[in-house]
Amino acid sequence: MTGQLSRTVIEPTNPRLNVSRNANLPHSPGIRVGEYIFLSGMGPVDPATGGRNLGPIADQIRQTLRNMEHMLASAGSGLDRIVKINIVLADIQHYDVRRELFLVDPPARTTCALQLSNGNGVEIECIALSL
Amino acid sequence: MALQRDVIAPKDPAVDMSPNLNLPLSPAIRAGEFIFVSGMVAINATGERMHGTVATETRQILAAMAQVLESAGSSLAKAVKVNVLIYSMLEYNNMNEVYREFFPVDPPARTVCGAKLCGGSKVEIECVALA
Repeated sequence: MTGQLSRTVIEPTNPRLNVSRNANLPHSPGIRVGEYIFLSGMGPVDPATGGRNLGPIADQIRQTLRNMEHMLASAGSGLDRIVKINIVLADIQHYDVRRELFLVDPPARTTCALQLSNGNGVEIECIALSL
Repeated sequence: MALQRDVIAPKDPAVDMSPNLNLPLSPAIRAGEFIFVSGMVAINATGERMHGTVATETRQILAAMAQVLESAGSSLAKAVKVNVLIYSMLEYNNMNEVYREFFPVDPPARTVCGAKLCGGSKVEIECVALA
């Protein structure tokens, strides 16, 4: 039963969204194992510049989920294939359900507030099905 | 097909913090082809919390995590997703410099957040790995 699944690194098609590679951080954007994709925590990076979009929190959440959509699409998956999503806010008062991208059968989710890096107001990670 | 669920017992009992700290958790659980490792803090050879810098605690934890995974026939190289909690995000780079030594090639997906940790620990790390 063991050792049958392969483990491969997933990278975004848009290189500006490849935060770990651009900043030489010791993590991969995502890892695929078998039928699962595990994504690293993602923040509100501007896909046109690679810089941080630290505007209103609703915009940050929308941007981060768009980036996650791109990351999953780069691996042949999509937001509708997410099994579990974890949303970390810098301020729990910004607890805000973004329904617009998860209209049908939304994934399991945990939301909490923690300290984040790079001044991010939000960071989102997920586990998704690969195909 | 029902997947099997097994508790992973570390070969070196000193890295098993659950009995020493009287905690109701297992060091790790294997389920099918995945291993889920509990959040680990730095502990010394007698199983008590080791208080050091973020760098020394990170090093001790990842060395112990390698032992837990190897006890289950896995390794850090098969880690898929790592979650790191540190007591202050100001220490992000201090954690990263040690962390990257343990994951030189195709590092796992990862999320790092700042959080209030128990028992005065500065770092806590958990992971999901392939069996």
